[in-house]
Amino acid sequence: MRDHSKGGALTEVTFYILLALYTPKHGYAVMQFIEEKTGGRLSLGAGTLYGALNSLQEKGWIAPYGDSGDRKKEYLITLQGKKVAENELARLKELVAVAKEIVGGAV
Amino acid sequence: MSKKYYRFFGGLLDAQARWLNKMSARGYRLVRTEKLLYEFEECQPNQVTYCVEFVGQKSREHAEAYRDFLEEMGYKVFYKNINLNYSIGKVRWRPWAEKGGRIATNATTFNRELLLVEKENDGKTFALHTSHGDKESYYTTLRNPWLLLLLMLAAFAVANDSAILGVFAAICLLPVLIYQRQIWLNRREARTKEW
Repeated sequence: MRDHSKGGALTEVTFYILLALYTPKHGYAVMQFIEEKTGGRLSLGAGTLYGALNSLQEKGWIAPYGDSGDRKKEYLITLQGKKVAENELARLKELVAVAKEIVGGAV
Repeated sequence: MSKKYYRFFGGLLDAQARWLNKMSARGYRLVRTEKLLYEFEECQPNQVTYCVEFVGQKSREHAEAYRDFLEEMGYKVFYKNINLNYSIGKVRWRPWAEKGGRIATNATTFNRELLLVEKENDGKTFALHTSHGDKESYYTTLRNPWLLLLLMLAAFAVANDSAILGVFAAICLLPVLIYQRQIWLNRREARTKEW
């Protein structure tokens, strides 16, 4: 539970991309997933998404999925990426618990 | 009926995007570009919307990968030159570019510095960069070529005691300041908000 202390907080964009990629998706599907899940609140620009996908791939949290011959390039979360997502969920739970305590549980 | 226009926008990326969007509002969408030429065909008014993106700092591989990615998103992408240059076998040194893009030739991003990106209009604002951190780094890539030009011209102006070069240097200061302001604004916002 405590081992995420060294991991640091993820950005919302990063976390949503990791969540989207629990099943293989190409770029457009990732964008659709995020828009749908947030009800359009988080609408990601293609350039920002492209940069984020590349950084996550460099970190080894996501990887290309299948052979991308002439088909659209798909990505999938890695084991390491799942670990990061689990730590983030624990961090957010803690944050929400503190916020509820202080702001109140009305929301 | 296709319609041909001859325009040159140089480094005025926003002006170019505004003009393309105005053409779309009048019912014309882009089908082909050349150095100065923009060829349009008829479409529904406001059927498409445009963004202009600078990719001159990218290596050939990265520029092409990015273009492919945008096309996979369902956008139509046109390459466009930012300068007017008709020489063949041109080689340019771009110290502000990323690794692999610093020697620009006709085979790399030379004369392909801009992407004109067309999206079917869904009523939402069309932006390629949406988070503060990403905007900050994009505006940095826009500022750096102007900053280098400014420093070089200023140095030559002083070395040659030339007023004309000084004027050119002062002109370069304007885009540097415009982009620098965006960098600062986004950096300040990024301290508390992601986007």
